[in-house]
Amino acid sequence: MDTDAMTLAPALEMTGIGKRFPGVVALEDVGLRLEPGRVHALMGENGAGKSTLIKILAGVYLPDEGTIRIGGEEVALQSPRDALARGVKVVFQEIALIDEFTVAENLFLGEYPVGPGGSIRWRQIEDEARALFDRVGFAVDPRAKVRDLPVSQQQMVEIARALAKDARIVVMDEPSSSLTPAEVEQLFAVIRRLTGLGIAVLYVSHKLDEIFAIADTVTVLRDGRHVSTKPKAEHTEDSLIHDMIGRKIEALYPRTRGHVPGEIMLSVEDLETATGLRDIAFTARAGEVVGFFGLMGAGRTELAKAIVGFDRIRAGRIEIDGTPLSPHDTATGVRLGIGLLSEDRKREGLMLDLEVTANASLASLPKWAKGPFIDGRRERAAVQDYVDRFRIRTPGLDQPIKLLSGGNQQKVLVSRWLLKGLKVIVVDEPTRGIDVGAKAEIFALIDQLASQGLAVVMMTSEMPELLGLSDRIMVMAGGRITAELDAATATQEEILNAAIL
Amino acid sequence: MSDTSVAAPARATGLAANGQLILLGLLVLLVIGFSLGSAQFFSAENLVAILRQCALVLIVAAGMTLLLISAEVDLSVGASLAFSGCVAMDVTNKTGNFALGAAAGIAFGGLVGVFNGVVVTRLRVNSLIATIATLMILQGGVYLYTREAVQNRHQLPSFTTLSTGYVGPVPIPVILATIVCILAWIVLSRTVAGRSIYAVGANATAARLAGLRPERLRFTLFVLTGLLTGLAGLILASLMNAGQPTAGRGFELTVVAAVILGGTSLSGGRGTILGTILGVLVLKVIDNGIIILRWNQDLQMVVPGVVIILATWLDQVRRRGDGH
Repeated sequence: MDTDAMTLAPALEMTGIGKRFPGVVALEDVGLRLEPGRVHALMGENGAGKSTLIKILAGVYLPDEGTIRIGGEEVALQSPRDALARGVKVVFQEIALIDEFTVAENLFLGEYPVGPGGSIRWRQIEDEARALFDRVGFAVDPRAKVRDLPVSQQQMVEIARALAKDARIVVMDEPSSSLTPAEVEQLFAVIRRLTGLGIAVLYVSHKLDEIFAIADTVTVLRDGRHVSTKPKAEHTEDSLIHDMIGRKIEALYPRTRGHVPGEIMLSVEDLETATGLRDIAFTARAGEVVGFFGLMGAGRTELAKAIVGFDRIRAGRIEIDGTPLSPHDTATGVRLGIGLLSEDRKREGLMLDLEVTANASLASLPKWAKGPFIDGRRERAAVQDYVDRFRIRTPGLDQPIKLLSGGNQQKVLVSRWLLKGLKVIVVDEPTRGIDVGAKAEIFALIDQLASQGLAVVMMTSEMPELLGLSDRIMVMAGGRITAELDAATATQEEILNAAIL
Repeated sequence: MSDTSVAAPARATGLAANGQLILLGLLVLLVIGFSLGSAQFFSAENLVAILRQCALVLIVAAGMTLLLISAEVDLSVGASLAFSGCVAMDVTNKTGNFALGAAAGIAFGGLVGVFNGVVVTRLRVNSLIATIATLMILQGGVYLYTREAVQNRHQLPSFTTLSTGYVGPVPIPVILATIVCILAWIVLSRTVAGRSIYAVGANATAARLAGLRPERLRFTLFVLTGLLTGLAGLILASLMNAGQPTAGRGFELTVVAAVILGGTSLSGGRGTILGTILGVLVLKVIDNGIIILRWNQDLQMVVPGVVIILATWLDQVRRRGDGH
């Protein structure tokens, strides 16, 4: 009866894997079994143990206990080199290519074929690169410098690099995080080719729609433990979320705000910028969420940066509650009541080394001032109020913000603006890098912002988020607004069609 | 649960205190060591002498601390120190008025700060490069201004009293340095301006998005550092009873070294005045000890160099020990 299982030994079988770090149990008794030619999804929130498991598989960490079998044979993966030699290729999330080298050079980095006298056979490298791209179906010029490629193509190169050698098991860690929907499709095509070759794929992601599109089996980890392994067909979105966060989310997109928006708080006319925006005109009213959708390069972030006064504008008129944003800078913007919640928390939002209080009160310092001095007690009380209200998980107000989770960091940044008191808040990819459980809280927060009478302008590339949160939807392509739709009646096709105009 | 960060208790302030404890320990060890080496070291006169030597560095280092926390640096302070001393002496000679001379010297330093500020915040030249260029301009410029030392021809007693006078047992430069440090400490720890300095240094983009004006703030800090350098130059001229165009060589390195030794981050966002004071004390105690023990004076450069590497390394070890 077990003949199938006998003939097809699992590509990988990890059993009883445990790993401890000082003070933390990262993994305890975790098992994972990959079948050749199948896509296995590994899911879990940040801190669930996904990264640790991958790193053990990649030979970066040694497990404290447990066994690893590859193709039925027990192995000890002592180093990344070991893992590679066993046919385990890991594509990490961060792109680790050398910018100044060509694509082909990067592919064969460290293993250049060498001719007589030690000269490198460049022609051969290029040819092999081309052959590899043909095999997996990439359209990337092997002679292009990595620096000149868009991030999405760099990611493709990174994946191709893992395939340059004979792979039996390919691990992809959040491979779609910087890809457009079209590129994700391309990625899936590549994955199907890989499985067609009998390769086992471990796909690590927290994007539910992708998991349902590509995975055969799903394993969920939580707090370093194995929660479930089931065929995809036995899961629903709710059951997956439940497994990941260990509780049920009542409503992902709660709605407490009314349906009749108030006065116009933001009006933009004939906006044009050096960053590629043209003829942008729209308004946002108090109590409404205006969602901007667009593919990568459509100009969402550029628009966000321009209307808050961060990027210069060439032409156009921006009014906050009837007052023109002039001079066009953020100091004026913040004074008039418009602020940006940036998509890039680390680079543009957080002061990582500073504590929660300083991060939260950054935009409202004058409020806590008595003359030139800061009234630290009032400041802390106000920040504490938001920490309580938003249930920000932190051991204290003096905790450096870099030690908080992404979701909690985001809540601190929202508090920063609420402490200041805004009329218009621009949120750019508000849930990027945030766990599913915390996402629901951020959605609730955005809804609350609108119900408190703020005009919310939301930039997003996530279709569910766009449809779930917006009142009106603006679609952008090539730096212009190509459609304005009512969120209640808009369809996914309509939106995508306008986005690829 | 889902998004609890695995976290130790708060340490934002503890961290700084911790680093200062190491410095304080080092200082105590140095004092004990030098005292054992020579009875002369641990005496009231020598203590006052050390403090006097600290004063000049400290006045400029206070400004430099603010500047470094905001993620900028000024390497022109040594050259500016010498030049403003010459200007102060020259103007006092020509006007016969100490107040005018002092004002001219300090104003000159301030102007250098304005220049640095414009080049860095308007022309957007990296401050390391910009202020090295200013250093070169000033080092050459001072010779165009005066070939040799500007001698004291006015013989105003107030001019020399500035550096040699005492209030009670405390030399006037030490009092000035103390006032400067207290003011800088208040600014950094208590005021909106201080918070803005940390914020701009920690993340200038975030600060700008929050409505702060990083350029304006940094410009102000360049001018402030310039003014303090002018003040130090004036004291130096008084101390040497001449405006020395060659004075101040390497002064900028001592200042920056002391500030960094005190735990201020070169990349901005972190630092304290207390740390800077300790950093200056450590460097100057080493200086003084080497002289008193009659060691080879070239060690005055070598030892602080080694100390800076050690201290910075220790700091990093400690941070790594913190788990990130």
